[in-house]
Amino acid sequence: MSKYVMVIDQRRCIGCMACIVACKAENDVPEEHFRTRVIQEVEGQFPKLRMELRSELCNHCDNPPCVYNCPTGASYKDKETGMVLLKKNRCVGCKACIASCPYDARYIDPRHGYADKCTFCSHRVAKGKEPACVQTCIGRSRIFGDIEDPESEVSVLLREHHFEVLKPAAGTEPKVYYINRILKG
Amino acid sequence: MTEVTITGINSITYPHLDVWNWLVAIYLFLGGLSAGILIMSAIANLRKWPGSASGPHCEKGVMFAPFILAFGMLFIFLDLERKANMFWFYLTLQPTSPMSWGAWGIMIIIPVSFLYALSTAPPESRHNLRYEALIKLSEMLRPYMRRLAMISFGLGIFLGIYTGVLLSNMLARPLWNSPILPVLFLTSAASTGAAFLIIVARRAAVKLFYTKLDIWLIFAEIVIIVLFFYGQYNSSASSKASIMPFFALTHEFFLYFLAVFLMAVLLPLALVMKLIEMREEHADVLSEATIFKMNLSAVMVLTGGLIIRLALIYAGQLVKFM
Repeated sequence: MSKYVMVIDQRRCIGCMACIVACKAENDVPEEHFRTRVIQEVEGQFPKLRMELRSELCNHCDNPPCVYNCPTGASYKDKETGMVLLKKNRCVGCKACIASCPYDARYIDPRHGYADKCTFCSHRVAKGKEPACVQTCIGRSRIFGDIEDPESEVSVLLREHHFEVLKPAAGTEPKVYYINRILKG
Repeated sequence: MTEVTITGINSITYPHLDVWNWLVAIYLFLGGLSAGILIMSAIANLRKWPGSASGPHCEKGVMFAPFILAFGMLFIFLDLERKANMFWFYLTLQPTSPMSWGAWGIMIIIPVSFLYALSTAPPESRHNLRYEALIKLSEMLRPYMRRLAMISFGLGIFLGIYTGVLLSNMLARPLWNSPILPVLFLTSAASTGAAFLIIVARRAAVKLFYTKLDIWLIFAEIVIIVLFFYGQYNSSASSKASIMPFFALTHEFFLYFLAVFLMAVLLPLALVMKLIEMREEHADVLSEATIFKMNLSAVMVLTGGLIIRLALIYAGQLVKFM
């Protein structure tokens, strides 16, 4: 059984936003909606500034509040891949998943009404490909793989580097890991 | 100084969450109101009334409960983005989802409360039920009135708590994510239920009974509201920030301040009015002036219940878990 995760090496991100474009093109994401975003945070007083480029997407949590709050079972944790996915035909558009997600990873698809999200490009992964954002990442900042495989690139990176997750206090056990995340406070 | 630029903003989540609006607030209010009616009428029907034969004492009020709840469901239905998929609520039970429990609970509460209401109809006014089948059903259910009242009491408690758990379960929204919220909603539900029954009840003894109960409930509600804000203020940074809109006193958050201000005026005023009503000597038939004062304080309580839910729904989406 696999457990897919994403590692984001922030040292290698150049803020080209190609991941956002690739995701929109691959997944037919509607206009003005996004499954991934890049946050550029500049802190300090000129000339002493520091900048963080932080890609954010669904964290495919091991303890997913969106799944726990879904009243119809439309949102579910796939046992084979560890991905948090959506059975679109079951979604009633109650928005409980959007309200419960601490990462603001979901949106309502205005064309169909369901609460869509990043799927780690599960359709591509099923064919042995990488997610579109990973494949297009020019700086190799986004790395995707199976954390259950000790020889996978993600396993090696996480073994060899200090990493952080977003909002660990939420207890959601996110599966998107950040290397060299600039911590505040 | 921090400058943040986000590429890939979803308007539903930035700059703040924008998923639930007044439709959900009305649903929670009407759900709470019907829960309160069930709880309060069950208490009145189960207690022994001194100097009078035991029997249903608020039959007219109970009949409103299933219809108010069904009307409330209409609002949550309107809020669904995929209304045609609503049947999925009833093809599964998701044990971790309060909304799933609520959907099933309401499907049980509406018919049970209707049967309870039928059982309370006194023989002399059964003809008001119009349909022969309903009249017969009412006759049949009459011996089971006390049992149905007990069940309705439990279901009312469940419904009142559910309306709060629906919000308090949201970890990502610190204003809602408080264990006090279900207690506040239950108390508010019971209080609005008592207020509603004060308005619809005809007999002076029943009106005064609910007035007496509502005094305790309003007092409890005020204490719980204060404890809620106090708890949020002394909790995590997210929780502390979440109550900021209510006390910011800026143009942007003026409506939230107004909500707190109205609560601080309406509930204590209603409490004082009810205390005065209880101190006065009342005849068997209440004067028009007394009924007006009772109804006015009841309307204040109902308005307060609606304001609480509206304010919490909107304010809860302004601050995220940090």
